[in-house]
Amino acid sequence: MLVFKNTFRDGVGFDAILVTLALGYLVLFSAFPLVYNLVMSFQEVDLFSLASFDRPFVGLDNYEDVLTRTEASSIFFNTVKFVGISVVAQLVVGFALAMFFQLDFPLNTWLRGLFLAGWIMPALVVGAVWSWIFAGDFGVLNYMLQALGITDAKIFWLSNPDVALYSVIIANIWLGVPFNMILLSVGLAGIPEDVYEAAQLDGASRIQRFFTITLPMMRAQLGAVISLGVIFTLQQFDLFAALTQGGPANSSNVFQYWSWQLSFQYYEIGVGSVISVLMILFVVFVAAIYVRSTRHEQVM
Amino acid sequence: MTSQIQLRNIEKHYGAYHALRDISLDIPEGAFVALVGPSGCGKSTLLRTIAGLEGISSGEMIIGDQDVTKLAPRERDLAMVFQSYALYPHMTVRRNLSYAMRLKRRPKAEIAEAVDQIAKITGLSELLDRYPRELSGGQRQRVAMGRAIIRQPRAFLFDEPLSNLDAALRVHMRSEIRQLHNRIGATSVYVTHDQIEAMTMADTVVVMRAGLIEQVGAPLDLYDRPANKFVAGFIGSPAMNFVDGRISGDGGSVELDLAGAPSLALARPATPGQRVSVGLRPEHLEVGAQGNSLTLPVALVERTGASSYVLTDTPSKILVCTAGRVGDDVGQIIVSIAPENIHLFDAETGIALR
Ligand SMILES: Nc1ncnc2c1ncn2[C@@H]1O[C@H](COP(=O)(O)OP(=O)(O)OP(=O)(O)O)[C@@H](O)[C@H]1O
Ligand SMILES: [Mg+2]
Repeated sequence: MLVFKNTFRDGVGFDAILVTLALGYLVLFSAFPLVYNLVMSFQEVDLFSLASFDRPFVGLDNYEDVLTRTEASSIFFNTVKFVGISVVAQLVVGFALAMFFQLDFPLNTWLRGLFLAGWIMPALVVGAVWSWIFAGDFGVLNYMLQALGITDAKIFWLSNPDVALYSVIIANIWLGVPFNMILLSVGLAGIPEDVYEAAQLDGASRIQRFFTITLPMMRAQLGAVISLGVIFTLQQFDLFAALTQGGPANSSNVFQYWSWQLSFQYYEIGVGSVISVLMILFVVFVAAIYVRSTRHEQVM
Repeated sequence: MTSQIQLRNIEKHYGAYHALRDISLDIPEGAFVALVGPSGCGKSTLLRTIAGLEGISSGEMIIGDQDVTKLAPRERDLAMVFQSYALYPHMTVRRNLSYAMRLKRRPKAEIAEAVDQIAKITGLSELLDRYPRELSGGQRQRVAMGRAIIRQPRAFLFDEPLSNLDAALRVHMRSEIRQLHNRIGATSVYVTHDQIEAMTMADTVVVMRAGLIEQVGAPLDLYDRPANKFVAGFIGSPAMNFVDGRISGDGGSVELDLAGAPSLALARPATPGQRVSVGLRPEHLEVGAQGNSLTLPVALVERTGASSYVLTDTPSKILVCTAGRVGDDVGQIIVSIAPENIHLFDAETGIALR
């Protein structure tokens, strides 16, 4: 309490209070759930033992259990596809749009604003909208494809096992493009015009300027967008809940949704925790790569 | 000597703003041409149109014997040194220097040799592996120069390359650039708003105002025979004094609109009765009564040690610059000027009377 008194009198120890608050927050809301999750992954947890800490320790049994399930490998590859395709497509489309909005044309800011709509809408709402678009019998997408003569038969976007995952990926790309666009726009705007002019006089064509000036000078932003994209995509839960619930027959299921299903639908909480632990390890790995890549960044 | 850069009736509009008006200019091969003028007169715009970074509204541009009016900057084979240097921040000095050659896919050995040679010329040999952000302003300036030289372009374009340096370094780089030019001999167009820089470095000075070329000439020509009042006031430091006056009845002298209507004898007769603006350079006004003299009330005396500056208490202030020392207590000063140093300009048009 002395610290508080001093703080109010002359500001002494104010920084200490701020640090304590931030640290307390981290311990309570980040570290504790993480550790608790880790602990549960080594325990046998069911509905009845949920309320107590004192649960049987089962070693790596949960890990063995979940990794040997028949659906595990297909869900793993679904997750890889979901993350890989989403991140790459978001990056490419976001970069293209960011470059497009660098141009000076009427309605530029207005149009750019529209693109942000996807960013401010809750993913669950976006999921609902896309489920109408994808709807097999009365969906907008099928109507358009047929009207344009691209397909004759209806595509059952959400109930065809071969297509369901890609439908979620499409919705997720749409959801992630604005974030990519904004971050990359900031990076593009930070490249001085005269550097491009110098490159032009040095004889660089438009394509050469892109590869020798734009891309290398965007390294930090690209690194951020890719690693954050991976992390956000691994967190994408709402779209699965709104569109396919991982179905049909796990054909569009991914780790984050499966983990939730195991823990909160089937109450195999120990097994569900295993998946979260594995995902956390992967995310930490991605974050580490990102931090390493930015540490040697050439800042102007 | 053949013309390296020819500009024919160049016009440039930015929307409604008329930035360049009927610019025609011949720049001989190997010349060092300075573009000077006050801020906003269109110097940078003209340079950037030569580089191709700005399109022109009409006119044509010939470099060597090629019409480049419609060519992109990269097809013009010119090198430019920017005021901001515009170095590639993500490349080391070595890679900055070799960028153009790498784009052309020159052999590695050739590039390495060229970089070493340029680094020696520009004194960058020790700094080749640094990034631009690790260099001082003067060193960045050298990299920008080196990056231009290594290309052996048809001409160099400089846009106020020294304006971000401190005064001492600016004077040093000024002579270095000029020596470099003497050695390489490539055509150079040099934009500056500093007329001292223009006078000391260039073979030919182009004075611009409001998008127009006011006069083109050798530095001392502009100083000795300014075409109009604007050039007279712009070239020379400190600036020329202007006093209104009228040519006497016999045309042999000019009466100044000062207390007592003093009159100065002219070297050549002028139109009797004409209203004129009389230009007197501060350094041409000598203290003491020798022939053509004026007695002027003193407002202020400034001394730098080497010389004294006397500001007179007249309706249009007259500055006198003298090598001698002037006492504090002078209430008035007598100055004289040689008739051939008196410049006359038409009071209406400002055009020099010769
Ligand atoms: N992109 C542009 N759009 C509209 N007007 C412009 C543009 N670029 C330059 N101008 C105008 O053209 C005029 C000439 O500009 P310029 O940059 O050539 O001046 P400058 O002689 O180089 O001046 P300084 O010595 O300050 O660099 C200025 O009045 C400027 O406002
Ligand atoms: Mg300028």
